[in-house]
Amino acid sequence: MRTLIRTKATLFLVLAALTLGVLPVAHAGDDEPKEKAAEEESSEPEEPQDKWFAVVDGDVYTGTGAVLRGATVLCKNGVIEDIGYDLWMPEETETLDARGYRVYPGLVAINSSGLFGAGSDLPNTFNPFGQNLVLALGSGITTALTGNEVGKLKYGTLEGVQVKTNVFRYLSFSKSSPAGKRSLREKLAKAAKYRRAYAQYEIDKKKNKDLKEPSKKNVDSNLVSLLDGKWRPVFRANERTDLLEIAHLAQQYGFRPIIQGCREGWTVADELGRAGASAIITPRDRRPKSEQLVREGGSSIENAAILYRAGVSVAIIPGNVGISLGGIVGRDLMHLTVEAAFAVRGGLSDEAALAGLTIEPARLMGIDHRVGSLEVGKDADMIITDGDILHYKTFVQWTVIDGEIVYDKEAHLYFAHIRPRPDSSLAPEQRLDAGENPPEEAAAAEGGDEEESEEASEPKEGGGGQG
Amino acid sequence: MASRPSRFPSASPCGALLCLALAPVALGGGFGAERDWSTAGIPGGAGLALRTTKALVAAADGPQVVDHALILVKDGRIEALAPVSELAVPEGYAYLDVGDRWVMPGMVDLHSHVGGSRRDINDMVFQANPGLRVRAAVIPDNADLQRPIAAGITTLLFIPGSGTNMGGAGVLMKTGLDRYEECRLRDPGSLKIAQGDNPTRWGYGMGRVLMNYTLRRTIEMGLAYAEAWELHERGEGPKPRRNIQLDIFRDLKAHRVQVSTHTQYYQLVMMTILMLAGDYGLDVFIDHGSFDSYKASPLAVRHHVAAILGPREVMQPRPPRFNTDGQWQGTAWGFQEQGQGEIGFNTDAPVVPQEELPLQAAMGVRYGYLDHDLRSVRALTIVPAATAGIADRVGSLEVGKQADLVVLAGDPVDPRTAVSLVFIEGRLVYDSGEGRRW
Repeated sequence: MRTLIRTKATLFLVLAALTLGVLPVAHAGDDEPKEKAAEEESSEPEEPQDKWFAVVDGDVYTGTGAVLRGATVLCKNGVIEDIGYDLWMPEETETLDARGYRVYPGLVAINSSGLFGAGSDLPNTFNPFGQNLVLALGSGITTALTGNEVGKLKYGTLEGVQVKTNVFRYLSFSKSSPAGKRSLREKLAKAAKYRRAYAQYEIDKKKNKDLKEPSKKNVDSNLVSLLDGKWRPVFRANERTDLLEIAHLAQQYGFRPIIQGCREGWTVADELGRAGASAIITPRDRRPKSEQLVREGGSSIENAAILYRAGVSVAIIPGNVGISLGGIVGRDLMHLTVEAAFAVRGGLSDEAALAGLTIEPARLMGIDHRVGSLEVGKDADMIITDGDILHYKTFVQWTVIDGEIVYDKEAHLYFAHIRPRPDSSLAPEQRLDAGENPPEEAAAAEGGDEEESEEASEPKEGGGGQG
Repeated sequence: MASRPSRFPSASPCGALLCLALAPVALGGGFGAERDWSTAGIPGGAGLALRTTKALVAAADGPQVVDHALILVKDGRIEALAPVSELAVPEGYAYLDVGDRWVMPGMVDLHSHVGGSRRDINDMVFQANPGLRVRAAVIPDNADLQRPIAAGITTLLFIPGSGTNMGGAGVLMKTGLDRYEECRLRDPGSLKIAQGDNPTRWGYGMGRVLMNYTLRRTIEMGLAYAEAWELHERGEGPKPRRNIQLDIFRDLKAHRVQVSTHTQYYQLVMMTILMLAGDYGLDVFIDHGSFDSYKASPLAVRHHVAAILGPREVMQPRPPRFNTDGQWQGTAWGFQEQGQGEIGFNTDAPVVPQEELPLQAAMGVRYGYLDHDLRSVRALTIVPAATAGIADRVGSLEVGKQADLVVLAGDPVDPRTAVSLVFIEGRLVYDSGEGRRW
């Protein structure tokens, strides 16, 4: 055994020396690499260990439509390695027993305020121990947009927080600014003309190599890349007229708009669906219809459901995107799932509502290859709950980011006392004074050695299946 | 099945059962084209027979749930409620089967400011204004009331704002009716007293000691005035000079009206109970109970003071002012743990929207309130109704009460549950099939 390790270590050293040595070979006479190799030899470096983590026996709601009852999610180095039954796991795998609990993808907040720290500059202002961070993790949020950056709510570490920068690019096309509308139209026309000219140029170039590229003068290159399908513009729009105009513009130029607000979207849902639009909506947005207008308008609780049926993908965000500590509960980012529940009230299915908190916001922010659903190859970001995530009573018990438990309801004071887990030291039946046994246990303990039985029961309290 | 499902011949219970079994289930949209049931329950109407999978009775005591129930509504009141196997549809009654939807009593919110024009209910003239009445500002069909109706909230205590220690008299009113005479359930509905932070806005910024003194002085004047009237009515004294500032104390002294106290923290709730219930023997309830008010629960129990809580119903750690050892302590749970049998919820609309009254109960349960024996539903119906002294008319599905019925898809406090129909005194006031907006 020892020799085997030694052989492996030597092999590794050779490899390491090779990698380190490749470049310095050019600098002949430089002793540094050799010294480094020597140092490593003396400290006997360990083989780089894969970090295995598994959530075992939970009801896994993958967010892709599948529900796997009593299944296991296996993660390797922070990435989902496998989901299923009877999985092979290395012995050293850290496990979390989720029997009787549900496993969902971590929630993705498509807007947030104050979760990460004080400032808008995520890497330099992130507070990995902030109260709001913990409260958001306790609400099931693992990824959130702040400013125009996406971050992960990595508790206790500065590594891997930033996921993406410059997430959204905004365009404005509103009747409140006719000049802005005209300008965007003209720019889009020029960009389209340029693209046609360029396409023609590419054809003609083959015959005539001296041909000049079409002029880019006065052409907005951002809009050219928009028409190339490289990004999706975000419009802040609520009124029917604006929504219709955006839908028509999008269809004319072939881009897919993301619409923030979209309050009267339900009145023009088909047009938005045809334009391939997506909507970021707040189901509890309330505005009566303008009495000056005969047509339908104002907010509707059915907005999300109607848009969804028309093919508009829907992401959900509450009106208050911060953590509220004023005593009013149920309206802030901590109650993201309550907001989604109101969309269900308006006719959206539970599945679509969950998607509106997970995969849809991930798609809109362009991070769905990493987060938003439980799929092999994606980041191991998940939440383990004591019930239906959309039910008002449900609490997040554990939150996992990159294959590590970053929140445990029992380990933080905030909610630990509310309906504690049955195996918890806070569970009512366990609230006993030292030395006091419940009647039936006391009777059972009478026969045997008391000290032993106490010892035997101890790991139950502390362990809690957290591995 | 060409025959109208709404008409049934008088028959033996057995026959009625057969008819019921054959009756087509008209669901979705407007519950079918037959609409005679929409007014059959009003005074003078033919009568309404409503069948449901689950009736949440929410009576003060007795069974809380009747499965497969038939509810008979006649002349605006509940005539009978029993399992469908024990009750036949009387001849001539319009019949409505709501399928797997549930029926609950209309909800009651004892802290609301949306019963009329919002800006007219907070005249901060004096530090105590017992003579002001929101009656003067009621707008029965105002736009703000469309939302509570659509959420199944049928009774409001519309009260003055909390800018002064005594804001004036509130009105207990129904939400879905067009005229003041129809919608008024009781006037005065309460005397609004505000404690603590909001009334400090008056004058130079009042302190709690002066506010306490002002309340005591006004109450003692008022009770003396009321006593003079009582003496006169018994023929034992001269007729007092009418004082409209103090008239409401005659109702308070006779226990016809309660004091609704906007009171939040422990210290304020404690002072409210000690002063109003303890020293002056008034019928008072904790309204807008919030934060750590649960610490006053034993005192409230001793003085039979009801607790209506919301919308700030969680004590969050905000050291140094609130030290909860880091815990989020649900106010409702706190009251429950310390002996308050049942609590009620309020919204303080428009601070939180009126339609989110059920959400207050949901959040109470989320943060610990033990929801057994239908407590979360009772907290929105019979508990506030009994607290306001109107449980003889509203708050439960009991024979003789006003037929304020809510037909909904399931658990009333789950935000996912959509309301389908709302009846007030037998009249259909909301039908989701005619376009849902809220």
